[in-house]
Amino acid sequence: MLRNRLLQIIVILLLVGIGLHYGLGIRMSREDIHISARAEPLACIGGERIGEACSAGLPLTNSLVMTIVVDLLLVLVIIFGARNMKLVPRGFQNLVEWVIEGFYNFAIGIDRPNIGKFFPLPATIFLFFLVANMLALIPMVGSVGECVPAAAEATAAAPAAASPSILSGLPGYCGAGNVVIPFLRAPAADLNVTFAFALVAVFTIEFFGVQALGLSYFTRFFNLKEGGLGFFVSIIELISEISRIVSFAFRIFGNIFGGEVILIVMSFLLGYVLPLPFYGFEVFVAFIQSVIFAVLTLVFMSIAVVSHGAHDEHGPTEGPHGETHPEAHGETQASPA
Amino acid sequence: MDVDAARLIGMALAIGLGAIGPGAGIGIVFSGAVQAMGRNPEAEGLIRTYMFLGFALAEALFIFALVFGIMIGFGII
Repeated sequence: MLRNRLLQIIVILLLVGIGLHYGLGIRMSREDIHISARAEPLACIGGERIGEACSAGLPLTNSLVMTIVVDLLLVLVIIFGARNMKLVPRGFQNLVEWVIEGFYNFAIGIDRPNIGKFFPLPATIFLFFLVANMLALIPMVGSVGECVPAAAEATAAAPAAASPSILSGLPGYCGAGNVVIPFLRAPAADLNVTFAFALVAVFTIEFFGVQALGLSYFTRFFNLKEGGLGFFVSIIELISEISRIVSFAFRIFGNIFGGEVILIVMSFLLGYVLPLPFYGFEVFVAFIQSVIFAVLTLVFMSIAVVSHGAHDEHGPTEGPHGETHPEAHGETQASPA
Repeated sequence: MDVDAARLIGMALAIGLGAIGPGAGIGIVFSGAVQAMGRNPEAEGLIRTYMFLGFALAEALFIFALVFGIMIGFGII
């Protein structure tokens, strides 16, 4: 019943969209595609903004604004959800408990003995990126903004106003030669944010390794006792440890930023219709990438606290029924990328 | 060949070549998951979770190629 009604609405919207696109010619033109790989400053503290960049001073970027919004939202939700908690949850507390408990049960399946120590950081990463990526998919988040003149080299590179966009008469449209600086930008589409999270995650992993094993933790990176092959393997381990930072940062950045670009390009190719399946896919990606970041942090932590010689006796991964899978541990270690 | 043509060719090559490996990898992930579900239907929920983990890890490689392709094509780098 409800599903039929929803399908009817979607089909009617699609037909209206195709009519708008082909019948009336209301569509994006090529010059409406403006992609910026870095976060644009909304204001500059102690400097002046020229075009899209700060001449001097500390830039107050749109992804920073979005990060603060997400942080406030998370803090408020947790405060209101966990204020006067009951043993039998009612109302809003149910939702908060459901989210935390769902991720906790999933994390227990990865590393049961150390979960109390490890859980906070992966849970923070998961909740932050989940909320941030989902909020970034709300329409008008990355598209409504301030209209500023484009930088000089950008206008020189672009072909000079071949055909004026059909949208140009609309109120609030940012004309040719100008670019929009959105007020909000997805935090994961800013490499600074993801790189900061990756640095925090990797340094916490190293910290737990040193805390559990002492200085002998570093023998896995400089192993001089087991001959040439052992030394070679330990150097590879060191390189893969460093490349973890890059792969952590670029994985979520690429997914979210690439998803935004795909939505823009699809809207250009066939507006209103083609972005729909990709939008659904982006919702899936927004969820799965936040899970990936958190779970990989947890898995690397549980690998880091197991000493080098003790790998074969017991792996850190436990199955759902309590039995250990040493081969599963080997697989997670062999795929650091 | 001017720079714009080189950029377009570079973008197409980067995205197209970058899709080969992850495509095969995602196929392997899902085939393994479907086989495991067929043999052990009770573990379907757990297998599905790890299946999506493996899918996202393989897919991230294609996203790298996509992002760098886009950056080349739109002249960002």
